[in-house]
Amino acid sequence: MNALTASAAIASGRVQLANVRQSALLTAKKRALFILLAFVFLTATALMRVVQIGLFEGSPDRRSMADALVPERGEITDRNGVALARAFPSYSLWYNPKAFGEKGGSPLVKTPEEVARALVQIFPDADYDDLVRRLKSDKPSYLRKRVLPEEANHVFALGEPALEFPRENQRYYPQGSLAANVLGFVDLAGKGHVGMEQVLEPRLLDPAQRANPVALSIDARAQGALEDELGRGMLESNAKGAAGIILDVDTGEVIALASLPSFNPNRSDRVFNGLVFNRVSNQVYELGSTFKPITVAAAIDAGVITDLSVRYPTGPLNIGGFTIHDSHNFGPSLNVPEALVHSSNIVTAQIADKLGGPALRRTMMQLGMNERPTIELPARGFPLWPRGTDAKGDWARITTMTVSYGHGIAVTPLHLASAYAALVNGGIWRPATLYKVDPARVPPGRRVFKASTSARIRQLLRMIVVDGTGRKADASGFRVGGKTGSAEKPGAGGYRRTSLVATFAAAFPMDKPRYVVIAMLDEPQGTVATSGQRTSAWNAAPIVGRVVPRIGPLLGVVPDASRDVDITDLSPLVANGDGE
Amino acid sequence: MIVTANRLRSIGWVVLLALCGAVVLALSFRVNALRSQVHRAEQRIVALKQEKMYLETEFETRANQQQLKSWNDIEFGYVAPTAGQYLENERQLASLSKPADPDAPAPIRVASADDSVIASAAFPTMVSPLTGKSAQAEEAIAQTDAPAAHVDHATATAALGERLGTVGRPRAAEGATPAAKKKAAKTANGKSVDKGGSAKSSASRSASAAGKPRTGTPHKEGRISR
Repeated sequence: MNALTASAAIASGRVQLANVRQSALLTAKKRALFILLAFVFLTATALMRVVQIGLFEGSPDRRSMADALVPERGEITDRNGVALARAFPSYSLWYNPKAFGEKGGSPLVKTPEEVARALVQIFPDADYDDLVRRLKSDKPSYLRKRVLPEEANHVFALGEPALEFPRENQRYYPQGSLAANVLGFVDLAGKGHVGMEQVLEPRLLDPAQRANPVALSIDARAQGALEDELGRGMLESNAKGAAGIILDVDTGEVIALASLPSFNPNRSDRVFNGLVFNRVSNQVYELGSTFKPITVAAAIDAGVITDLSVRYPTGPLNIGGFTIHDSHNFGPSLNVPEALVHSSNIVTAQIADKLGGPALRRTMMQLGMNERPTIELPARGFPLWPRGTDAKGDWARITTMTVSYGHGIAVTPLHLASAYAALVNGGIWRPATLYKVDPARVPPGRRVFKASTSARIRQLLRMIVVDGTGRKADASGFRVGGKTGSAEKPGAGGYRRTSLVATFAAAFPMDKPRYVVIAMLDEPQGTVATSGQRTSAWNAAPIVGRVVPRIGPLLGVVPDASRDVDITDLSPLVANGDGE
Repeated sequence: MIVTANRLRSIGWVVLLALCGAVVLALSFRVNALRSQVHRAEQRIVALKQEKMYLETEFETRANQQQLKSWNDIEFGYVAPTAGQYLENERQLASLSKPADPDAPAPIRVASADDSVIASAAFPTMVSPLTGKSAQAEEAIAQTDAPAAHVDHATATAALGERLGTVGRPRAAEGATPAAKKKAAKTANGKSVDKGGSAKSSASRSASAAGKPRTGTPHKEGRISR
């Protein structure tokens, strides 16, 4: 140590210099390192920030904006984009007993009775006792769904903190009960029921798709016209119910579908089974004489009828203990156009007999009469298809005959509409659909009748309206053709004479059919408005006669009195007269 | 000196760094301000779009088909247009204005105007508040001074109805013209009369000026001569 001290003392001058240099170098290095570290840190921070900005920021904002505009449940529109059902945030009235905190004491400022009385003044249809019961219980509950802003203001003025107004997305139908049977409704739990709300549920709730509205094939204007006129016809004839459908004959699109009485989907709490029932797709009826053109078409197609002037006897037909009658006596014999114009059961039965059961059965099956109607709606009725007598399912002779004029077989009005579309559009049957069809992607369908048969049937249907039972449907300039049908409803111990199902199946314009219109009344009564008659010519046919002028121009059919399907080759065969 | 230069340089770097830092900071503030502005704008867009949706829905509800129908039933009574109100094409439109064939039996009336009603509609006599005389008498006096364009309204209206209601046949018109000219000239007391509206107005003027009951002749002839 001493030696070290001595040498340090000797070399103190140099050592000191060396030390200074060393320490200066060290300091410089330390500083350089420090600055380097600082730069590295800054660079790293900047890089991290860049990464953070680039990866995480910016995008969440944009998504939140898009999210805010995407409805919770997709919108449903008609074919022209008119909103039929949409998600709509509206106020509810929510009772929250814990608004003042958890501890005891009344949750209301006033007494429950006073508050209930004030609420009844704001909502006259509210139930006072029910409100008092809810306000006295300490459970939170909805006092009311769908409160208008002004009503909410009135409630707010009561000064009760326990009454809250959460804004909730609810299903709203701006058109009210229009097309209610097509749309269905959404219950309080947000689940779709009955109509397209139920069918489209996955699509409407899918986050990827719900921003785009679903377009149905319905035209709101045509739907409104059909509902108006059916409702009027139902009132005029004092009927139990009514059903109607407008079908595009070339694509199978359902332009309007109405079943009355209907319901208001906005009040899902008041919807009950009787009204939800869809008479068009779910109820099967024996549709009577409207089947006669189908039988005649099958016979013309099969070559059984080659000459329309051949006359058939009209005496009552006795087949195996069952007698087929006509409603009136039309003379000793009728030819085919006369049989349709006067609606003769006897002649149609004879034609069906000549045609044979298997051929008629095949035609009916090709028209889909033996299976549920093809449409998207969940409620589809199964037809009452006549049972066969042998293993192949062939019909008995009498069955063939009764089916030919629409008895012994019960189908939905939708079946009939699709069949009429095939009758007039050139003979091609297509499934009915409630989705808007792209004209380039029309389903090919299946051929049931030849084009020539279809042309003949168009003439015959037009004759029925010009000369026969459908005269009240003859909207001037629209070239309507159609067939009446008034079938007695089966009851205990046979058919009931006074309970009818009156149907008018029509298509227009007959020179180039575009739309099938079916109007059906369930148990119409003879009233002053229907001249005391309860048959289709007096109640269902006028409905079609009023609907067609309303919807024709909207759907692109221009009325033209100078144009018509040529029936000059058939009119000499018919002596004017009336039938059923 | 060298140390001073070095120090100066390092101070320069530090200043530069601080300056950059300040600029970055200012820039990031600005960016953040803009971003929050954008966010606010987006929120406003969303709110407006929702507001638009509410209003649209309210409009659709108030103007829904059933509501319009009940208004129409009570208030307006519109019905669907009939076949006669449609024109299919230009040809159909042109056929409405087609002149009758040379040997067509009679002028075809394309719009009905009941002349008798208009002609018999007596306009109340206007009495001058100053002189107490009837306006016609006043005008008769004024006529002598100012024979400027004056039209008897009753005559003119009837004449307009006639003109609108009739399509003259070229040949018939040609045939009738000389006679009409003659007659009109006679009624107009030798005044020279030319075709069309001026014939009517001058004829009726002369009639009213004479204070005689108006006859159908002048304007009828005027029509034919057209």
